[in-house]
Parts: sequence; structure tokens; C-alpha cells
Amino acid sequence: MTGMAGDIPRSDQFERPRFTASGVRRGSREIAPIAAFVIPFGIAFGVAAFAKGISPGISVFMSIAIYAGASQFAALDLWYAPLPLATLALTVLAVNARHILLGAALAPWLLQIPIVRRLAALLLLSDANFAHTMAVRDRGETDAGILFGSGLTMWIIWIVSTAVGALAGSLLGDLSRFGFDAVMVAYFTAVIVGWWKGRSDLFPFVTAAAVAVAGTYVLPAGWHIIAGALVGGIAGVWRHG
Amino acid sequence: MVDAVAAISAVVLLALVTMATRVGGVWIMSYVRITPRVEAFLKYMSVSVLISIVAATTWAAGPRIWLAVGTAALVMIASRNAVGAMLVGTTVAALARNFGF
Repeated sequence: MTGMAGDIPRSDQFERPRFTASGVRRGSREIAPIAAFVIPFGIAFGVAAFAKGISPGISVFMSIAIYAGASQFAALDLWYAPLPLATLALTVLAVNARHILLGAALAPWLLQIPIVRRLAALLLLSDANFAHTMAVRDRGETDAGILFGSGLTMWIIWIVSTAVGALAGSLLGDLSRFGFDAVMVAYFTAVIVGWWKGRSDLFPFVTAAAVAVAGTYVLPAGWHIIAGALVGGIAGVWRHG
Repeated sequence: MVDAVAAISAVVLLALVTMATRVGGVWIMSYVRITPRVEAFLKYMSVSVLISIVAATTWAAGPRIWLAVGTAALVMIASRNAVGAMLVGTTVAALARNFGF
């Protein structure tokens, strides 16, 4: 691989996190079969926004600029004139606060790449490309371009499917007929099972699930995810730290 | 009716809030030392985000989604193929719907 004068290879050079165009291309291809699950949600969002009287141009702009499905759905509930900006901002913050957890989990890796590329990688962070990136990282991947590339594919599919929903989705009727409403939970279930390392994971996993479910009754919308994640993390440290 | 200028301004505001959550986690971690305990915490915290979403969604849903989640878990255990598990889980949800669940 090397051998050139002055290029002294150190084994850790090949282990160091990096961010390359080839990583971006690979990430954008690898996520494609998984990214298809965004289509029904994008269409559903376009339809729901259209039903709220939001023009296709604005709903597509939401998907371009915000690109966070659950929070975009939550914002529709507060979309009336005059727009309640403070409530809208806090609601979107609550639903999307889980991104902070995803970013923190990626930090040991991303803090080792240059800041501009680090920010680029994070711009399109979502649950799905996070899950994909963590899975390939477990297998020894060191290229953070994977995160950006997989985010890029997810983002484009989200925008296009929102446009389809806004323009024509109302003609499709009830999406649960096609099982589309089960796609995200089925995929996340597969990722969780894939992460299962043994019986010592039972306590943190069950605790996180119990707190999240209880949180849906007692916490503001979106915060049950934060509560479940924090408790699951603490339970994991208690068992493994 | 919300006028276009107000709508675009609101979307920009919500986009900035969302962007802050995307870069915020890494920014916070650049000021905190990453020890093995912190790493264990992050590892379990990150999988717990997905667990929380699945647990809360499944709890609030009906038997059709329970069946889809259960099938996806079984397929994943048997095959270790996440896309396969997703497809079979979704197909089960569609079939269950057509059989009236």
C-alpha cells in the first residue's frame, strides 16, 4: 500500500476515523433498501400536510429544511394562523432532542475527523442512518462518509416522497392496507435484536422499554424517548461500567 | 390561512432548532472526557433510543403491529438479516390487515 520515501506507515493510521467520497458513495448505496421505509412516511406526511391546507411547496420545503419526520407531523398540529412560534419550536425541540443522544453516541468517532466534515456528516443525521452507521462501525468500518452518504439517500427519498404525498397521496387511501405503518418498528426491532449481546443486556433493554412506555402517559410528547434512552444508558453502565 | 412569508420563516426556525439537536450531541461530548463508563453509557443509551421508539409505538398499537414486531424479531434471530426481517414483518402486517386485525 505504501513504500514511498518519507511515508512511514503506522498501524493506527489505518484504524483512524476518516471521511472520504468513497465512504459517501458506499453509504448512499448501502442504505437504499432500508431507506425505502421512508417512502410511506413521506407520502403520509405530504398527505397530512395537504389536508391541513399547507401548499405542496411549503410541505416539501419542510422536508428539505427540517428533515425529521416525527417532529414534522407534530408541527402540523400547531399549524394555524397566527403561527405559535414558541410552542412550535419547543415541540420540535422535544421530539428531536433524541438527535443529541445519537450525536453523543457518535462523538468518540466524529471528534477525530476535521470539523467541517464532522458538521457535514451530522447535517443529515436521522434514526435510520444512525442505526446503519453504528451497525457497519461494529463490523470495523472507519469511514464517517458512510453517515453522510446514507443520510443523503434518506434525505432525497424523504423529499421526493413528501412531494408525491402532497400532490397525489390522497388518492392512495389508507396506507396501513399495505403494511407500510409497520415498516419502521419492524426495522428497528431487527436492529435491536442484532445488537443483543447476551443475557446481561436484558435488564437495560427492559428498563428502557418500561420507562419509555410509562413516559408516554406522564411526559410531554416526544420526551418518553429521551427518558427511556437515559435510563437504558444508566442501566447499561450499572451492568457493564 | 397561514401566509407564505410566515410559513417559510417558521420552517426556517424549526430547521435551525433541529440542526442544533443534530450537532449538539457531538459538541457537548467535545467538552466531556470519554471514559469506558461514558462509552458504556453511550452504547446502551443509543440502542435504548430505538428500544424506546419500538416499545412506545408497539404498546400504543394493536395486535397487527404486535404480530409484525414479533415476526421481525424471530426472522432477525434466525437469519441475522435486518432488511429481510423488515420485509417479513411488513408483509405480516399487510396480511393481518387484510384478514381483519
